[in-house]
Amino acid sequence: MGTISSAFSIMSQALQADQAALNVVANNVANASTPGYTEETPNWQENQPIVINGVSYGTGATESGATSIRDHVLLERLNQQQQLASASGSRLAALNTVQALFTPDSGSTSSQAGDIGSGITSFFSSFSSIEANPTNSSLRQQVLSSATTLAGDLSNAAASLNSQRSALDQDAAGVTSQVNALTSSIAALNQQIQSTSPGADAGTLEDQRQQDLSQLSKLIGINQISTENNGLSITTTSGQLLVSEGSNFQLATGMVGGVSHFFVGTLDVTSQLASGGGQLGGYLTARDEDIPSVLNSLDQLAYSISTQVNTLNNAGTDMAGDNGNAGNIFSAPAQVAGAALSISVVMTDPNHIAAAGLGQGTGDNSNATAMASLAKQLIVNGQSPSNYYSKFVTTLGSTVSGVETENTAQTASVTQLQTQNDSLSAVNLNNEASSLTTLERTYQAASQVFAMLNTIMASVLNMGEQTTVS
Amino acid sequence: MRVDPNFVSNLAGSLNQTQATLQQLTAQLSSGVRVTSLSQDPLASGQNVLLLNQIQQDDTFTQSSSMVKGQLQVADSALGSVVGQLTQAIALATSANNGTMNSSNLKSIANQISGILDEVQSLANTSYQGQYIFAGGQTSSAPFSTSTGTSPAVTSYNGDENINYLEMPNGEKIQLNLPGDQIFSGSGANNVFAALNNLVADYSSGTINTTQAVSDTQALSTALNFVSQQRVSLDNSITHLTAASDAATNEQTQLTAAQTNLMQADVAHLSTQLALAESQQTALESVIAQLGSASNSLFSKL
Repeated sequence: MGTISSAFSIMSQALQADQAALNVVANNVANASTPGYTEETPNWQENQPIVINGVSYGTGATESGATSIRDHVLLERLNQQQQLASASGSRLAALNTVQALFTPDSGSTSSQAGDIGSGITSFFSSFSSIEANPTNSSLRQQVLSSATTLAGDLSNAAASLNSQRSALDQDAAGVTSQVNALTSSIAALNQQIQSTSPGADAGTLEDQRQQDLSQLSKLIGINQISTENNGLSITTTSGQLLVSEGSNFQLATGMVGGVSHFFVGTLDVTSQLASGGGQLGGYLTARDEDIPSVLNSLDQLAYSISTQVNTLNNAGTDMAGDNGNAGNIFSAPAQVAGAALSISVVMTDPNHIAAAGLGQGTGDNSNATAMASLAKQLIVNGQSPSNYYSKFVTTLGSTVSGVETENTAQTASVTQLQTQNDSLSAVNLNNEASSLTTLERTYQAASQVFAMLNTIMASVLNMGEQTTVS
Repeated sequence: MRVDPNFVSNLAGSLNQTQATLQQLTAQLSSGVRVTSLSQDPLASGQNVLLLNQIQQDDTFTQSSSMVKGQLQVADSALGSVVGQLTQAIALATSANNGTMNSSNLKSIANQISGILDEVQSLANTSYQGQYIFAGGQTSSAPFSTSTGTSPAVTSYNGDENINYLEMPNGEKIQLNLPGDQIFSGSGANNVFAALNNLVADYSSGTINTTQAVSDTQALSTALNFVSQQRVSLDNSITHLTAASDAATNEQTQLTAAQTNLMQADVAHLSTQLALAESQQTALESVIAQLGSASNSLFSKL
């Protein structure tokens, strides 16, 4: 049976519900700029109607908390793209530093000092100059100076690459502490979420967890697996478990062969991490693939040029009376690896340059001709030195250009996904303003009904009585 | 339909991008170089290395060839003087052989021919920038010396048979020298010094064995022709060298133009792009200013 007092209770409940909903709106507006905050909507529920003698009477509505509006699939997609974009971004930064060492020689008279291509050409040209005049001491000195320039260019480039490699090493190692902090935070949140709201979206706690996940995705490549009771397991892209339920597994670093390697437990996951994504993936790819490849090319150049020239110099006659063992012009490298870093000119006396052929007089130029011809012979990995350097330069430029294109596309994709996510989950002030207006009117209506009920109650109370209660 | 309430901050990202484009274009325009890093044009960077290499090789060759040409011309003029001296010697010998000379005249002719021999030897020992050019590879010491112990005297060659070549950038070789013994000490009747020494011996006693003297004079004549022939190969080298040097200079000019085209900035194109980028930036800035202004949510109307 509907009574006036039940109507009163319905209205007072309505006022409370409106109040609660207004709180949710106010909370949204207050958190409009909080990073990671997801817009909440109030949950309205109709109360169970009462059935008396077959007639059902409504019992009003309650507001039962707020739900965060979030799309898990969209968030996961965004995190994946973020991993890719961060990886290509940090790799691109490293590659740009590498390619700055090999800026193209513009060919003008004030061209870049340190251009290896010009160094190679000048060195072999100095032997061509000796062909015309094998005993001229200033031309011979020129051979040693251009050799010194070439050796300096190669070893400086190799030294810069090595120091960049250790800088990347440090950057990569520095990421692990951040990763570990985030994974332990996620593990703690897992516990809290699983205990407080195992069946539904955990609101602010879930916001924090997603925020941590987003930060983690920038750093390292991960896979997310939702588990029961609103839990989350996180593994690296290659499958190493980082977070499971309430516990996290630390990422540790250790030095192996002069560079930092990464371990989960006792398993060395460095090479898997390099291809996994995130900043760490980018750093490791640059450190373990790109830079060693460039160093190897420089080493090949240095090794081939120095061994071939040294061999020829020891197969001729110089101006100091040596016939067949005039000495090395360059330091003799033991192996290809490290040849670029260690190359230097060991000959100090230009008279020891063996321009003449074996057993010939000092006016002969046949050995000088042979040494000049090395520039055209296929002495570096099946190519002539200039061709080898030219191909090296093109390959490096193409690699960097490719990573640039990748990075631009991935960054654009991240922006697009971020926009989609924000349009869903970010606080839209216009929506909040209209909700506010609606709730305000609803509240006014409810309080107006309350006032009318009060008047009706007074009439009831006054029924059959002469005196008026108002 | 829902919209992203944060779209204005995304515009800031676009602003960064236009800024970066502006910076790059300005850098290219101010340096005049189109390819400032390898990734901007990898193929051009690789091609640039090869072009610069070729240009420098041509340049080195041009410089070397002008140095060598000096040496070849000195050799050529020495041989020219030798031909003059030998012609004079033949004239003297011929006049001595006609039988009208007395003993002291013959001795005088012997002395003159001996003087000519010294002169020819000195020409055969010509040096250029401190190196003896007719000594083959043994350029640090004079190749020819005469010992007067015997009669006729013997002029010996202390050089070797080494011939130097200058290699052109395209691989062809130009001969740079002739060993002295191939010019002056040829076999049989081509031996200049033998002929001269014999003539000196013929006339120095004051009496003449006509048959012998005539035969020796004939030998000298043959030797003179031989020297002239050898001189031709030196002249050929000079011609070859001049042509090669000109070709190298031409190639260098063309390659330099190609390299400039490849690497230098196209100013007109860059200026246009720069103007477009600037106007885009200005437009973006005013859009952001407009949209980012305070009263653009419903709250301001409540």
